[in-house]
Amino acid sequence: MTQMLHKVLRYLGHGVVVIITFAMLAPVVYMVAMSFRTTQEITQAPLALPETLYLGNYANALSQMNYLQSVLNSLGITLSVTVIVSLVGSMAAYPLARRTNTFTRIIVMLAALGLATPNFVTITPIYVIFRNLGLLDTYVGIIIAFSALNLPLAVFFYTSFISAIPKELEEAARLDNCGDWAVFWHVIRPLLGPATATLSLFVMLMVWNDFTYPLLLLTDPDKYTVMISVYRFVGNLNVKPEMLFPAAVLGSLPLLVLFIIFQRRIVAGVTAGAVK
Amino acid sequence: MGSSKRIYLFTLPAIFIIGCFFVYPILLSARLSFTDFSGVGLAEWVGWKNYDRFFSRTRYLYSVWITIKFTLVVVIAQTLIGLIFATILHRMPAIRNLCRAVLFTPAMMSFVIVGYVWQFIYSPYSGGLNALLGMIGLEEWQRGWLGEPSTALYALAAAHVWMFIGYTTAIFLVGYANIPRDIEEAGRLDGASSWQRFRHLELPLLAPSFTVNIILSTVGTLKTFELPFIMTRGGPDRATQTLSLEIVNQLFGSYKFGFASALSIIMLIIVITVAVVQNVWLRGRENNQ
Repeated sequence: MTQMLHKVLRYLGHGVVVIITFAMLAPVVYMVAMSFRTTQEITQAPLALPETLYLGNYANALSQMNYLQSVLNSLGITLSVTVIVSLVGSMAAYPLARRTNTFTRIIVMLAALGLATPNFVTITPIYVIFRNLGLLDTYVGIIIAFSALNLPLAVFFYTSFISAIPKELEEAARLDNCGDWAVFWHVIRPLLGPATATLSLFVMLMVWNDFTYPLLLLTDPDKYTVMISVYRFVGNLNVKPEMLFPAAVLGSLPLLVLFIIFQRRIVAGVTAGAVK
Repeated sequence: MGSSKRIYLFTLPAIFIIGCFFVYPILLSARLSFTDFSGVGLAEWVGWKNYDRFFSRTRYLYSVWITIKFTLVVVIAQTLIGLIFATILHRMPAIRNLCRAVLFTPAMMSFVIVGYVWQFIYSPYSGGLNALLGMIGLEEWQRGWLGEPSTALYALAAAHVWMFIGYTTAIFLVGYANIPRDIEEAGRLDGASSWQRFRHLELPLLAPSFTVNIILSTVGTLKTFELPFIMTRGGPDRATQTLSLEIVNQLFGSYKFGFASALSIIMLIIVITVAVVQNVWLRGRENNQ
């Protein structure tokens, strides 16, 4: 009898935890529900669900936001940054993983400095440097800025990954008289796939969601990333719900869809990156 | 022999990028902080004037205090709530992965969007929170959450914690997964209750997860910019004016590049000091356990 009771209580406990957890999604559900309602409806009944699938808000947002262009911009920037950061980062990580001496320690310290520096510390000088170099409001500029921001993480990431690759794999190539570059390119680089996949996830999250750099470095609407086009569309004063909510849904949709498909890998990748 | 030295050439591109975009800007920032540079024209050397200005005006010291207060509230709340979720989910393997993914979802959204959505949730008349309070009969709790200096900062902190709670929970769950099974089994065989196991076995063994969580959330929160920028613009009555917001305002509101640089250097010193102190303290704590 007590065992029965125990079992029932256990099921109840699980149920309560699942309910509390899903309650945490309330703001997301709220965002989606409100995006289908007019301002007038929201004022009259702030918490009601949409009665019809009213798409007027979306039509309005899509026509004014330059949404597709900004999605393409974010994707293109993510891709370029991933290519640069994975190449430069893994190259630097190879000697760092294989040798330990004063020189490699200095590089690791530099990378740690980069990792700890808030971008507000470098934003003023980077703005000035970019202006002098004519890189303000260019794709090249924003790609360089994001690459620099992600590089320290990439260096740490690849260093711990390459350290775990057995040295024996390199030895056969060394016997064939391959130089360091050939060993790196033909032996090490092909093994880095999983690390690069996780890294590209970090890059994607940052490029998609970061606000400060593109806000200060980009002024041409055709070059906006998604978050900037959301911000420019919704504005900062007298925010209207019928603009805010569809823009918020459109702005987070791609990453949320990606998350639903790859949630296991994303959670594992992001936490592994943090723990290392 | 030549090959063993040439391998260091591989680090050159990384050194170049880190040099150009971290080391050089920090040095340039340090130099600009002693000038009255306004973005254009020549910069005049003004000595310690910018730093004098910072230390002699309460409004700037206040923004440091706001930043620290916000960080304390967020880090404590996030660590505690994350620990509670992880501890419960660790004991419920059947629903662990599902709940972890659900809790993690807000971390996929950006600060900008979280800021907008929560700004509307808090809005006094048609916002979701006041409507919810009205529905469950707590009308006396209704207020303009972001409009009152006493609640605005906590309202921002709640949105921030909501966004990253899944992150903290996931890291604690990794910590739980790393606890050797036989230790847990031994505790169970000794007849230790769930609470005793948590208090005397798991909590000490989770020390490394505390280290990672606290350092990550502290460094992330000290630079808070987007939430106050979107939700309150630093108001009401400067109650949410964080240091990063002050930097951006000085920079693009009043074109005081020199003073903004001084604020940046102060911020860098704060972040590095806090990170080093926490690292020493938390790692020491790990070893003592």
